[in-house]
Amino acid sequence: MLEILQNYGILLLIGEFPHGKLGGLAMTLIISFVSLIVTFPCAILIALARTGNSKRLKSLASGFVHCVRAIPLLMLIFWAYFALPVVIGFPIDATYTLIIAIVIYQTAYLGEIIAAGIEGLPKGQLEAAKSLGLGYIPTTFKVVLPQALFNVVPGIVNQLTTIIKESSLGSIIAVPELSYAMLQVNSNEVTKPLQIFGILAATYFVLCFALSQATGVLERRIANRRTGRVIVEAVA
Amino acid sequence: MIAFQNVSKWYGALQVIHDISATVEKGTTIVLCGPSGSGKSTLVRAVNRLEPIQKGRITLAGRDIHAKSVNVNALRTGIGFVFQQFNLFPHLSVIDNVMLPLRRLRGQSRKQALPPAMLMLERVGLADKAASLPADISGGQSQRVAIARSLILKPDVLILDEPTRALDPEMVSEVLKLLKELSGGGITMMCVTHEMGFAREVADRIWFLKKGRLTFDAPPDLFFSKDTHPDVQGFMSAIHRHH
Repeated sequence: MLEILQNYGILLLIGEFPHGKLGGLAMTLIISFVSLIVTFPCAILIALARTGNSKRLKSLASGFVHCVRAIPLLMLIFWAYFALPVVIGFPIDATYTLIIAIVIYQTAYLGEIIAAGIEGLPKGQLEAAKSLGLGYIPTTFKVVLPQALFNVVPGIVNQLTTIIKESSLGSIIAVPELSYAMLQVNSNEVTKPLQIFGILAATYFVLCFALSQATGVLERRIANRRTGRVIVEAVA
Repeated sequence: MIAFQNVSKWYGALQVIHDISATVEKGTTIVLCGPSGSGKSTLVRAVNRLEPIQKGRITLAGRDIHAKSVNVNALRTGIGFVFQQFNLFPHLSVIDNVMLPLRRLRGQSRKQALPPAMLMLERVGLADKAASLPADISGGQSQRVAIARSLILKPDVLILDEPTRALDPEMVSEVLKLLKELSGGGITMMCVTHEMGFAREVADRIWFLKKGRLTFDAPPDLFFSKDTHPDVQGFMSAIHRHH
C-alpha cells in the first residue's frame, strides 16, 4: 500500500499538475466547493419560491424539486454530457459538465433544506417585520435569511459531504478527480485492486467523517448561541 | 384617531369579532381586557392589518386603513406594535434591532441611525445593553427593547398585545412603569392586558370584550365602581380568585 502511495501520491493529490491538468484530491475538493458555492444562490431562490406567496412560482419550484429528486444524478450527468452539447451546439469540458449536473441536482436538495429553515422560523419574526412596515426585500434579506441560513449551516455542511461523494461519479465521464486518478492507478497496477480501492475509500472516509464531525460541533454551537449559553461558557 | 365601525371578523365559520363600533381619541390610552378568546388581540391586530376583517371599517386619522390608496407598509410605520413574545430579531444586537427600521425604511446609515437609537435605548433605560444579543438579556429588558424598536419611527399610535403576559412577575413592573411614562407623552395607545392596577392608573377608557363583543366601554372610575357592567364583575372576581 505504501508503495502505491509513494509511486502515485502526487497523482492522487494533484493529478498531472503542473505538467498537465490539475486532478486528484485537489480537483475533487475544487469541484465540490465550486459546486456548493454555485448551488447556494440557486438553492436560496428555490427556497424563497417554495415558501413565498406566489402560487405560480411555488408550483414551478416544487415541480423542479420533484423532477430532480426523482432521477439519479448519473442520469443528469449523462444528460449534461451527451445531450447538452447537442442542444447548445458546442462541447463542454467534462469538469464543467459535472459541476453543472451537481449544481442542478443539489439545488433541489439544498433548496429544500433552506426552505425548511425558513419555515422553521417562529411566526412572530415575520409578524414583527411586518408590523415595523418592512417590505418583502428587507424582510427577506435582513430578517428571514440571516436566521434561516444560520440555522441550517449544519445541513449545508452536510450537503458538502454529499457533493464530495457525488463528485466521484465524474470518473465515468473522465473528469480527472480522485476516483478517476485511482482508476488510472488501477489500470497500471492491475494486481492490487484491494489496496488501491482501500486507499480511495479511506480518503473519502477521512474527508467526509471529519466534515460530519464538524457538523456536530456546529449544531451544538448554534443551539447554544440561540439560547445565550455561549456567553456563559465564555465567562466561566 | 382610530375608529371602529361595525367591525366583524370570522375565522372560517367561527365569528370572533361581532359588530364592534368604538372610537379611540387622539392621545388617549385604551386598555382592552376580557376573558381569553374574547377577541381583544384580534381586534388590535386588525388595526395594523396583521388580521384582515371581513365586515365594517377601521379608520386611522379619518382614513380607511383598507382603502386601495393605503400602502400597508406605510400604514404600519405609523403604528408601533408590541407583541407578547417580544419578537426581537435574535441575530441582531439590541441596538441593531432598534436601528433596523431607521436603516431599512428611512435609508439612514449606521452613523445616522445610531444617535436616535441610543437615545431611545436610554429612554427605556437600556443604553448599557446596546451591544448585547436578545438571548443575553432578561424578558423584561427584551420587552423594553421591543418597545424602543416600535417607537423609533415616532408612530402616532402604539399598540401593545399583552406586553407583560410572557414575563416573570418581578419583571412586569419595569415594563408597566415604562408604559405609564409613555402614555402621558401624547401618543395614542391601545393596550391589551390583564394588569388591572395598570388599567386603573393609566387608562382613559377601558374596553371589556366578551365572546367577540365590546360589552362595556367606560372610564376607569366607572369600570372599577359598584355600578360597573355585570360581565366585568364576574371577570374581576375570577381574576381576584386567581390571584
